[in-house]
Amino acid sequence: MTRTHHLHPFTALTAAVGAAVVTTAAASWPLSAAVAVAAAILAVRGGVAGRVLSAAAVILVPLCLSLLVLHGLFFPEGHTVLAEWGPARVTAEGLEFALELGTRTTACVLVFLLFSFTVSVPDLLSALAARRIPPQFGFVLASTLTLLPAVAGRLDRIRQAQEARGMVVRGGLLSRMGTLRLQMVPLVLALMDDAGSRAQALDARGFGNAGPRTSYRDVADSTAQRRFRAAALVLTAAAVVARLVVSWPAGVTR
Amino acid sequence: MTAATRTALRASIGSFTFHGENRPALGSAALSVTPGALTAVLGGSGSGKSTLGKLLAGWLRAGHSGEFRGSLELDGTRLEFQGAPDDPRLNPAEWSRRVAYVPQDAAAMLSTVRATVAEELAFGLENRATPRAAMLRAVERTAARVGLSGLLDRDPATLSGGELRRLAVGCAVIAEPDILILDEPLASLDGAGAAQIEALIRGLCGAGTGVVLLSQAADRLAGEATHWTVLVGGVVTAEGTPAQLAGSAELERSGVLVPVVGGRGGEPDTGDRETGVLEGGAQKTGAQKDGVAAPGPGAGTHGAVAPVMAGLELNGVSFCYGGDSRRRVGPQPVLVLQNVNLTVRPGEIVAVTGANGTGKSTLLRHFNGLLRPAAGEVRVCGRNITGVPVGTVAASVGLLFQHPRDQLFERTVLRETLFGLRELFGKAGAEGKARAALAAVGLSAAAETVHPAELPSSQQRLLALATVLAREPAVLALDEPTVGLDRTGLEHLGRAVKAAAARGTAVVMVTHDLAYARATAHRILQLDAGNLREI
Ligand SMILES: Nc1ncnc2c1ncn2[C@@H]1O[C@H](COP(=O)(O)OP(=O)(O)OP(=O)(O)O)[C@@H](O)[C@H]1O
Ligand SMILES: [Mg+2]
Repeated sequence: MTRTHHLHPFTALTAAVGAAVVTTAAASWPLSAAVAVAAAILAVRGGVAGRVLSAAAVILVPLCLSLLVLHGLFFPEGHTVLAEWGPARVTAEGLEFALELGTRTTACVLVFLLFSFTVSVPDLLSALAARRIPPQFGFVLASTLTLLPAVAGRLDRIRQAQEARGMVVRGGLLSRMGTLRLQMVPLVLALMDDAGSRAQALDARGFGNAGPRTSYRDVADSTAQRRFRAAALVLTAAAVVARLVVSWPAGVTR
Repeated sequence: MTAATRTALRASIGSFTFHGENRPALGSAALSVTPGALTAVLGGSGSGKSTLGKLLAGWLRAGHSGEFRGSLELDGTRLEFQGAPDDPRLNPAEWSRRVAYVPQDAAAMLSTVRATVAEELAFGLENRATPRAAMLRAVERTAARVGLSGLLDRDPATLSGGELRRLAVGCAVIAEPDILILDEPLASLDGAGAAQIEALIRGLCGAGTGVVLLSQAADRLAGEATHWTVLVGGVVTAEGTPAQLAGSAELERSGVLVPVVGGRGGEPDTGDRETGVLEGGAQKTGAQKDGVAAPGPGAGTHGAVAPVMAGLELNGVSFCYGGDSRRRVGPQPVLVLQNVNLTVRPGEIVAVTGANGTGKSTLLRHFNGLLRPAAGEVRVCGRNITGVPVGTVAASVGLLFQHPRDQLFERTVLRETLFGLRELFGKAGAEGKARAALAAVGLSAAAETVHPAELPSSQQRLLALATVLAREPAVLALDEPTVGLDRTGLEHLGRAVKAAAARGTAVVMVTHDLAYARATAHRILQLDAGNLREI
């Protein structure tokens, strides 16, 4: 039950938010690229590279392609024209802008995917509970984060019941999609039934209590982690302020 | 016991009707729970025991879940309900702090948002702001009392049936309620587990807790009660001491399983494996009366008269959970089956027994391919099923799951039974087969109108059995088919198994009830440390 080798969920969260905010504020593609690479390396070391990268690909590939088309070809402020086809002009400025936006988005997406695939949901909930966040909020968060696995588990049990009674599922995607049709109504009914009985059990176990509560799970924290979080917050705030100062020179000089 | 003179909980029920129903689930019934005493509510299938338990415990609330007329009195505070909108409202958190309930379906007790058994046990304490140090002690102590000490770090979703029951009881006991209502608490438990829970109940009574036992069997535990209440169709038909009611016509009529030979009231040999011996005894006589008792072990040769090929054959099957897990950190893989060999001939009935969590359900799931062996092979009717889809194997293998709610998914009882039958018997034949199977388990009346989830738990098991029987498989695998069944249910089951075996079906049935196994099966095997051996 020693989880000291884990980061405190707030430390990971602070780091993720900090990295995303600083990257956005700095708006410099080398920094964005560095953050993205760092996130990828951490994902590999954490053993979640496969899931992080495939989820990132699903989000980023269409996004980056559209950025390229939109800004690479049609960038009104572009002067250095590299190529031209009718209304479409490839400008150096446009390409740079696309690169800038693309790396920034990539960095943010990777950082948040890394966080969500490595954070321990029970740890996060118990840390939230310790901060007197209302447990109902914690429950909603927990249910949301565990909803997909729960639905998948239910679906799996229904499929097993149907297979045990002669429904043939072969490996192929088409076969699976075909049988999914038979599972939808049972799934909805079962989930509704589950929700009803779970509400009774939660009530009976004092979940609706208004008073304070405690947490069984001990989430390890340390002075070093607390200092890191404080420093990261200060740095993030500084980055935001610096960005504001740079963006509105007129307001500052007046 | 001087404490026993005070009443802690008194319920007087005029009627309770679920929303959307026109017939009350509970009619006139009254129950008093005394501190430090064990009270048993006995009733057959669908008699309203679970509804009564949930009503007493605040799981079913007046106005919220149904219309309630009557009164509840807890420690002198009396709440009157008229079925009117201005009825008093029961605060479930407050009420359940005093009155705890363990549902018949143990899984329904779980929060589902806790990652380990230890945290699940602590959930109720967390919500009541118990200091962490006290929680740690309570979890450890409760785990030892219910036999979960070795499983504290496990994910509750991966527990076996018996382990889950222990967890549900533990979750209720840990909060130290004044009154504890247990719905079939010994269901699915092995001998040691049953003895442990019985000892726990005795200890709680000794410490002043009022315990209510809801049961379809007047078994050893019920025999220790100071008071029996007999429920039939939601109405109390008799009450009194066990001595007054044992052998009474009311008890006989209620469908409750009744022991035939002694054994009530504290047998010394609590470590005995045969917890269900009394139920089994009753089944044996009941079955013999109807002429359906299975032949003794000697009749096992009957199937060997003709040199037929085995219905089911397992050769060197090994299996472990978590073997193909891609997670780098996590629990070590558990080796559940080790080089298991098993041959079941057509017409043979084999019983499999073994402690909770030894892998009996795991074994049965190999028969139709829901689980695939890590090593070894499974042959059904002489054919190796490696690589054959489950749905194809299912034409020859019928599997009754341990939890009926894992088996049932349709909207009505008839549709449930019909699922997958057309492929076997054609459009014309299917409905006939379905109706015949429903009739065989006594569920004809419910066919078109009733939703499977609304059936009482024992009838859910019978419906699940009907869905399997209707397919007339060559191999019938039954995971704890007797659990929760009353006398009529057991008679239906006994007849169905006998008839299937007579048709040449190879039957494998998992049960903790050794007496039932002896009365029904030709051979009894024990699963222990991954191996099967004859006993
Ligand atoms: N999905 C799973 N992942 C990991 N372990 C599991 C999983 N399912 C079951 N187990 C464990 O494997 C062992 C065998 O489980 P199984 O359900 O086969 O036991 P059983 O003999 O049927 O017990 P019972 O008498 O309580 O029903 C148990 O220790 C159980 O906790
Ligand atoms: Mg089992």
